Amino acid sequence: MQRRIPLILVLVTGIFGALTFFIPHRTVQAADESMRNDVQRIITAFSLVLGVGSIVQHHLLKIRRKAEHWQYSYVTIAAIAISAIIGVFGGLDPARPGVLPTHIGSFSFHIQTLFTNMLVPLGATMFSLLAFFMASAAYRAFRARTVEATLLLAAAFILMLGAVPLGRMIFGPLPSFAEWILAVPNTAAKRGILFGVQLGIFATSLKIVLGIERGWLGGGGK
Amino acid sequence: MRTKGSARDFWARLQSIDRRWIYLVVWLVVMVPLIFPFRIRPKATPPVEKLFEFIDAMPQEKALVLSIDYGPDTQAELQPMLVALLRHAFATHHKVGVLAMVLTGLGLGENALSQVASEFNARAATHDDSIVNGEDYVFWGWNTPYITVMLGMGENISKVFPVDYYGAKTESLPLMRHLKNYADVGILVSLASSSFPQAWINLAQTQFGVKLGCGVTAVSAADFYPYLNSGQFSGMLGGMKGAAEYEQLVEEGMAKAGENWRLRARGTEAMSSQTAAHLAIILFIIIGNIAFFANRRRKL
Amino acid sequence: MTGLVMIALLVPALGPPTDVAARDVPNDGGGSVAVTWTASPDSGIAGYYVLRQAAADSSWDTLGFAGRLATEYSDDAATDGLKYRYKVVAASAAGNAESEVTSPVTSSPQWFNTDTTPALVGTAVLIAIIIYFIRRARQDRNLFIRRISGLDAVDEALGRATEMGRATLFVPGISGINDVATIAALNILGEVAKKTAKFGTPLIVPNADPIVYTVAREMVKESYTTAGRPDAFNQDIVFFVTDQQFAYAAAVDGIMSREKPATNFLVGMFYAEALILAETGASTGAIQIAGTDAVTQLPFFITACDYTLIGEELYAASAYLSREPILLGAIKGQDYSKAVIVGAIVLATLVALLTGLPVLRYL
Repeated sequence: MQRRIPLILVLVTGIFGALTFFIPHRTVQAADESMRNDVQRIITAFSLVLGVGSIVQHHLLKIRRKAEHWQYSYVTIAAIAISAIIGVFGGLDPARPGVLPTHIGSFSFHIQTLFTNMLVPLGATMFSLLAFFMASAAYRAFRARTVEATLLLAAAFILMLGAVPLGRMIFGPLPSFAEWILAVPNTAAKRGILFGVQLGIFATSLKIVLGIERGWLGGGGK
Repeated sequence: MRTKGSARDFWARLQSIDRRWIYLVVWLVVMVPLIFPFRIRPKATPPVEKLFEFIDAMPQEKALVLSIDYGPDTQAELQPMLVALLRHAFATHHKVGVLAMVLTGLGLGENALSQVASEFNARAATHDDSIVNGEDYVFWGWNTPYITVMLGMGENISKVFPVDYYGAKTESLPLMRHLKNYADVGILVSLASSSFPQAWINLAQTQFGVKLGCGVTAVSAADFYPYLNSGQFSGMLGGMKGAAEYEQLVEEGMAKAGENWRLRARGTEAMSSQTAAHLAIILFIIIGNIAFFANRRRKL
Repeated sequence: MTGLVMIALLVPALGPPTDVAARDVPNDGGGSVAVTWTASPDSGIAGYYVLRQAAADSSWDTLGFAGRLATEYSDDAATDGLKYRYKVVAASAAGNAESEVTSPVTSSPQWFNTDTTPALVGTAVLIAIIIYFIRRARQDRNLFIRRISGLDAVDEALGRATEMGRATLFVPGISGINDVATIAALNILGEVAKKTAKFGTPLIVPNADPIVYTVAREMVKESYTTAGRPDAFNQDIVFFVTDQQFAYAAAVDGIMSREKPATNFLVGMFYAEALILAETGASTGAIQIAGTDAVTQLPFFITACDYTLIGEELYAASAYLSREPILLGAIKGQDYSKAVIVGAIVLATLVALLTGLPVLRYL
């Protein structure tokens, strides 16, 4: 019985969701919208509680057992607590302050300031690692081992040179050839993969709606 | 015998070189051109040339309208385009109107306008040469929803933007007397990181016939080529390379008119870094392959 | 007097727009009327004003302004069931010219969007194919699907981790449970967890989504129980890290550098952080099996990982690893559906080339 209810829910909502594509009538569309906007948001909000609970439990366990690098667990928990307090009590909009004051003189620790000055630069730093990793990955992996690998190599050269002014200086039509590679063979291959992916999504969704695929229930496929 | 042995070692070591040497080289190659920029003079590609020549040949009474449809996260590629277009318009004595479809683009527009206006005013000899808000350019600001703005500008721009970004009544500005709607616009250039240029075509061009151009990020440039080929765009700037090419054209145009000002061209500067980085990666791949083949031959 | 008549003859009257018609917009949820007209023969007009009269009233409301090249306007503020009449006025600096008034029209909602008929037909055909193969699989247990090297390597990869006495890392992507790639990844996790339970290899599963975390935890617990080692499961194995993309990448990179797992599974939906994870894993010397349907990240995985499951090979994985007949049947159904689609494309292209009919529109 515990398994029946979710399966029936999935069947009903799955079929309803598919029907809204075909029926433009307002009552149907309104029901679909409220499902998407309200119901899903509420579920997501509750799931966040579970997530935070998991982190806190995980790190408290680490501290208690004095596992390796347990000091950093203190940092994690402190960061969670401080951001939560500032966010909840300090107000989300600088124009409408909350109960907690969020600046000392001109030094502001408002949640938006923390986000813009700490999180965004940290994210940008991680993102820029890509430049280095691309170089080391290219060095290691771009070997002309087979015919296909050599073709890949040649295409990579053409595209890289075509993207900088040097390409045009070396060989006039190079940039247009680079664009052609992106526009024709590359797009064709991507579309082929996408076709397969979309069909896979279709089949998997069908299996889930019909109750054949039950992995998401959390207990294996039986 | 000895040299052969050490050569084999050399190639084997090179093939499995410690990653950190690669990281060091990449870091140097990206940093150094930013500190000591070397001027790579990009030769303009046809889409960029088309836009430049269109604006150059625009009649004096027609205005250039720039729509800031991007935010701070793509400003590296698109802000140099905005600055270059402004310089071009002011140097050729065209009137400029600037609006923003993306709220966070307002600050970027303000920066660009004050920067370019001060560049020109620092070298202005007379009042005619100087760039004045309300006379030579107007910054209308931001409004929403975009459909209303794009369609409303065909009827009366002052109705869509009753006050400009600085709070002045738009109708009272001297420039607006000659800039009522799309009929007075020579070309509207949309600088966008998403699909706004398509919306401009669908709404402004199909209904009012206004000429359009666009400046877009390199990754999305491929999507807009069909419109360029069909003539719906009168020119296109793609990515930092496009920005650098346009800066180059503007600089050459101004030099021809005797104004050798050597202004800061950020797109061109970034291109030198990007060129160096691409060359470095290409070199790495070539070296890696030489090492790979050298090792294979030794093993045989 | 003659002078005035002469002037009146010399100044041409502005031609009004003609053939004005209004009709209910089909295949919508109601509230829309489409007004169309033929352009005024004069150039030099700025545009057209569209006016509406509710049949009861006698006053005309201006709905909006359309450009000089426009020949249609959509009134989206109509109330269903009320009768409206429309007229179009050409406006220019010299004056206005009104069109005829349309006959009354009402807007209404429709129950079926006829434009979606091809989609409905296509969906029905695909469902039929897949269900047919699922049924066949229930009877005939020996359905053939080709070997996928990435999945064949799972046993070898896990064996390596056990020999070296190091952990196995499983990253189920950074998307939510509503993403099919994540569901496919979790299915693979179920099978991998059974094997790590059997071999006694430590397993690490960091999650970027709270719901995925709960599902993953239940899956792994069930797998350990099925494998006969319920005591080996503990709370440390599956945990939630953060939902911020690059913070998650930093955390996983940290786990890779500290724990040095011998085997990495990077399966699911990934975005820009894909290469960061894959390259860090490669630098620790782990054997990496990746799988994703994100076309933009596939090149990075192929470059940096030992085995990559491309697109739908990821979805086939759960069928492949568990060998369950129903899942295998669904895969075969998928493949035949693809054949049908490819056949339809080729046929439609040939027809369009040879006859010029706009058949491709229906695809």
